[in-house]
Amino acid sequence: MRIVMLSISHRTAPVELRERLALSGERLDAALAALRALYPLAETVMLSTCNRMELFVARPEHEPPMFEHLDAFLADFCDVKVSEITAAALHREQDQAVAHLFRVATGMESMVLGEPQILGQVKRAYEQAAAKQAVGPVLHRIFQQAITVAKQVRNQTGIDEGRVSVSSVAVDLVRQIFSRFDDKTVVAIGAGEMAKITLRHLQALRPAKLWLTNRTRARADALAGDMNLTAPAGGVRPFEELDELLVEADIVLTSTGATHPIITAERMRPLIRRRRSRPIVVIDIAVPRDVEPGAGSLSNVYLYNIDDLQKVVLRTQESRSAQMEQCEKMVLEAVRSCMASVQHRDLGNLIKALRDKLHDFARNERQRTLKKLATTSADRSPDKIEAMLDEHDHRLVNKILHLPLSQLDPKNPDAPLAFFAAALRRLFALEESASEGAEPGVEAPENASEPAPPRPAIANEEPSPDDSPLRDLSHRD
Amino acid sequence: MTDTITTVALIVLTLLSLAAWAVAMNRARRVAKGGEAGEGEKLQDLLMLATIVLGGGAYIFRVIKHRWQPLEAHVDGLLLIGVLLAVTVFFLVRRARIRGLSLFALPLLALIFLWAVCASLWTFQLFAKIDSIWQSLHRISVYGGMLFFAIASVAGVMYLYVQRKLRVSHDPTATKPFASLESIESLIVRTSAFGFALLSLGLITGLIVVTGGPTRLGTGWWYSPKVILTCIVWVIYALVMNVKHTTHFRGARAAWLSIAGLVLLIATFGVATTLPPLPEVKVQPPTSTSSLLQTPSLEGQRPCESVLPRPSAPWPLALGPWPSLPPEPPCAS
Repeated sequence: MRIVMLSISHRTAPVELRERLALSGERLDAALAALRALYPLAETVMLSTCNRMELFVARPEHEPPMFEHLDAFLADFCDVKVSEITAAALHREQDQAVAHLFRVATGMESMVLGEPQILGQVKRAYEQAAAKQAVGPVLHRIFQQAITVAKQVRNQTGIDEGRVSVSSVAVDLVRQIFSRFDDKTVVAIGAGEMAKITLRHLQALRPAKLWLTNRTRARADALAGDMNLTAPAGGVRPFEELDELLVEADIVLTSTGATHPIITAERMRPLIRRRRSRPIVVIDIAVPRDVEPGAGSLSNVYLYNIDDLQKVVLRTQESRSAQMEQCEKMVLEAVRSCMASVQHRDLGNLIKALRDKLHDFARNERQRTLKKLATTSADRSPDKIEAMLDEHDHRLVNKILHLPLSQLDPKNPDAPLAFFAAALRRLFALEESASEGAEPGVEAPENASEPAPPRPAIANEEPSPDDSPLRDLSHRD
Repeated sequence: MTDTITTVALIVLTLLSLAAWAVAMNRARRVAKGGEAGEGEKLQDLLMLATIVLGGGAYIFRVIKHRWQPLEAHVDGLLLIGVLLAVTVFFLVRRARIRGLSLFALPLLALIFLWAVCASLWTFQLFAKIDSIWQSLHRISVYGGMLFFAIASVAGVMYLYVQRKLRVSHDPTATKPFASLESIESLIVRTSAFGFALLSLGLITGLIVVTGGPTRLGTGWWYSPKVILTCIVWVIYALVMNVKHTTHFRGARAAWLSIAGLVLLIATFGVATTLPPLPEVKVQPPTSTSSLLQTPSLEGQRPCESVLPRPSAPWPLALGPWPSLPPEPPCAS
């Protein structure tokens, strides 16, 4: 079996394309069923999340679907141009495909390194495909191994321990200062996209109140609508009430487009007294900065700007490079072991198929020889029988060797002749001298002086090309 | 010097505390690097439990040995406070989830046990005999107050450390092994409140003890350094307890105050143990012991139930031994 994979993720495609490719529930089932109907011999798992669409297929060698078939299927099913899919898709096969799956399951391919949700999504994708009988022994083994490896990597390396987005660092800092949030007030100054992302993180802490304020009221209203903020637990307050908000707030998030600081040390100092020195965390993610650095040196004011947060992000990533190396090593080892077990199973099937094929040859030849023996019942002299047996052996050997030896065509520039020759020597334990002697035009082996037995007359011999090694072989018999 | 068993137990307790501290340090370092918080937790818990069990056992052994006298000597007080500190820290870390408290509390615990080793080997001194319920209450409240103030000051040190990390390095991973500032401040306030209540009780019972009889009154007790220092400590903790309602003493200032409070309390203790009695205090001559000392079989020894009268002194809120007493002969038992 050959394992192939198609991946379209946040790294390769914009969100507009990912949105169109996102499949869930019944549509995902329908896609699996359609792919199965098209390629019944293939095993398939489809992983669809907000950040990625991945197709894992295990198909028989030389059988479809090839990469172009997968591209075409996805384009057709999701009503997207094939060229768009081809441009955004990442194609991998065999151990590279397996390694990709393992990396995805461990969160190494995620937008936020080590995020834990992806493992659950991989599990669900596998279970969904298994429920539809789209998974066979190969993908069963690979996906089960992927889930095990992901757990091991997470436990042993702690890859899911540190989060590295600016918003999550801001939340981590806030959590180091406050232990509970049900009595805290969050104030957001500005209503940009970055504020929205960070506010969503802060909202997850379930603060008592969340107020928005912005010079342009309409934008704050729109953001409040997006975040379902309603009084009395939050909402929009006029920008003129900023001082009042700074007195009420425990956590302040600023992200305005102002060119000068809107919160200065002078402005904060009297407010500290009104706040009765309650601690306040100010997260300034605006560029240029909204909060004067001097304000951060006031007592019980904890000020963090975008540089501080990004430094932490970078530091975390640097400190995690060792972790990543460890993850890579573990994944690589797991891929090797997984592929070995898949190939071992594959090899077993291959050997069985080879034996079946050879037995078929032998059976056919035997029937033919027996038939011939029956027709020549009048003259059953030992010479005649021996000649018939010789012919039987000769035909059987020729049949067995015809296809492999026909690959050894010196005219075919793509044929890896040296590899094939080495494989033949290795597989059939052929000695160097014997094989050299077999080459045409090369010095004959020691027993070459002995007269070769006459080649029996072969009736209905299968034609072989003049320059085929099989022909040389048969002539030397 | 106390018995060998107590001394050995105290040495083992010191080593156990240091081992638990080393494990806690290692865990904190790992967590700060993004590792698992659970690694080493069991070992640390085991060491803490061993400290509590051994310390508790040693204390009970001493109480039983001295005919159920709960605080016979200074070493008993230190042992008791060490065990109580270990129990409280274990509870706060396990149940109240005050992460990182062990890092700061365990060195203090080791110091207390080390101090107890010194008090057992070289500076062994007996306490005054407890002869009234007020004295019992006084000692219990003063030791209890000391315990809570010790935890408050440890939390204060931890607060200053975490705050500095958050202000200087701006890195949440560096402070991950520790509880949040709000939790630490809350711990300072709560333990100060408990300590304050017990110290207040200690002051009241001390007043009752000091004014309880003519021999114990002393003329200048109210302006003695010990009483003055204790009152300052009382005021400090009254302030710390109410930091959430004050404008000027929140955060780092509350932490500094809690540390200052403990330092003053230790100073009070030092004053109580080193200053001589006021000259005008009359020491009553021993009456009942003279006949005992004349008995040949008991010569050079003192009775277990000490009947030596203590001089009335100006530090009735005794935390330590009475300073004017001469070294006593070993116990007859």
